Amino acid sequence: MVEVAVEKRLKNFTLSADFRVKRGEYLTVIGRSGAGKSTLARILAGVERADSGSIRLNGEEISHLPPERRRISYLPQGSSLFPHMTVLENLLFPLKVKGKKDISAVREIAGKFGIDGILDRKPGEISGGEAQRVALARAVLSEPEVIILDEPLNQLDFFTKTELIEELKGLKGNLTVIHITHDPLEVIELSNRVLLLERGKVLFLGSWRELLERGEGELPERIRKFFPYR
Amino acid sequence: MRLFRFLIFTFSFLFFAFITVPVLNLFFVDKNSLVETLKDGEVWGALLTTLKGAAFSTILGALLGVPAAYFLSEYEFRGREFLESLLNLPIVIPHVTVGIILLKLLNSKSFLGALFSRFGITFVDTIYGIVVAMCFVSISYVAVSSLLGFRSVNRNLIWSARSLGARPFQVFRFVIFPMAFPYILRGALLSFARAVSEVGALLIIAYYPITAPILMYERFEDYGLKAATPIALLVVLFSLLIFTILLTLSSFLERKNG
Repeated sequence: MVEVAVEKRLKNFTLSADFRVKRGEYLTVIGRSGAGKSTLARILAGVERADSGSIRLNGEEISHLPPERRRISYLPQGSSLFPHMTVLENLLFPLKVKGKKDISAVREIAGKFGIDGILDRKPGEISGGEAQRVALARAVLSEPEVIILDEPLNQLDFFTKTELIEELKGLKGNLTVIHITHDPLEVIELSNRVLLLERGKVLFLGSWRELLERGEGELPERIRKFFPYR
Repeated sequence: MRLFRFLIFTFSFLFFAFITVPVLNLFFVDKNSLVETLKDGEVWGALLTTLKGAAFSTILGALLGVPAAYFLSEYEFRGREFLESLLNLPIVIPHVTVGIILLKLLNSKSFLGALFSRFGITFVDTIYGIVVAMCFVSISYVAVSSLLGFRSVNRNLIWSARSLGARPFQVFRFVIFPMAFPYILRGALLSFARAVSEVGALLIIAYYPITAPILMYERFEDYGLKAATPIALLVVLFSLLIFTILLTLSSFLERKNG
């Protein structure tokens, strides 16, 4: 269970987020660009500080902990692979920094994510879809309780995106996932619940279907109008 | 469009000619003077002193400049921009002035000079003076280049590394430093090249032990162009050799970094 109640003054408004994510839940976060989604992700990951509030993971207050001790793995927008390392070295990174000698999990996870054929390549030599697979596999190898994904499937072609959606479905239930996206397809296919953020405030938190049926405000109305999926 | 392309090509050609023709012209040197210079122990001694001084000054410059650059790249505080502009200060001070500044600060009667002399280190007409003077005039290159290198590392990578379990020092060791290293090396290379060519500051603080550029200047004053040219050729050859080795290494590392 992740319990979030944080505030941070941003340039034009105050981010004020108060919500809970159940253990093993897949939460998607939607909202306009600049609504505070990425800031929220960075605050949860611990790479940016909130002005006040608390973040509790399974009852333990973690807002004072540095990112490496939060058990939250964070995939920021864009590429997050270390370009000077091979895919294998990228996958080994979370084990190396924790001083783990047993690396048998790397082969297993690489096989599971279908990247065992590109282990000796550099990130610059693989496709965008492969890079996101590697980043996800690496995040899983760090054995987090929560994974935060900030628009992970952005800029991928439709086919690669749907393949990766299938991969992400594999994470459901095992890990708590907070997934920021602009794409209704990702929301529908992946989320247990969806959180709508507007100018730093949580406007809605519930299932996709509930958002379509009960969601108030401009964005739910636009989704109802332009997205016929029900 | 054709005129534009013609002008670009012409000026590019003139640029490369401007920097290569004078160097290539050095190779048309009087054979007898060259042979005599190659047999001259003082010339080899001066070359060795120059390379030794430049090597130590580059190491000292990197030891001071790289941490300072990392500090400026990593921490936000009031006055950071001012400190950043100070990185370029040594470049804008005329070199003879640098010599005078250092002589005033480090002569045996000054506070610092007296302090160092207790440990057997004096700066006037010693290798220490050469190293300090060379370091002062060249340290900006390694510091500025390192700053660019540290700034080139995307924050995403640092955040990812932290959330994957890396402590700040591990992020520096495994991510930031390896990625910035080609920049640091390139900066060190420029610092080295700048140190080798130093004359002005050395004339004031450490004329002796004599370095190659000063010996060149001395021979030119005493015996004219014919005597100075072979030394100039040797300095250029050594500089080009070291420059090529380090540049190749730097390019290799950049490729390795993807």
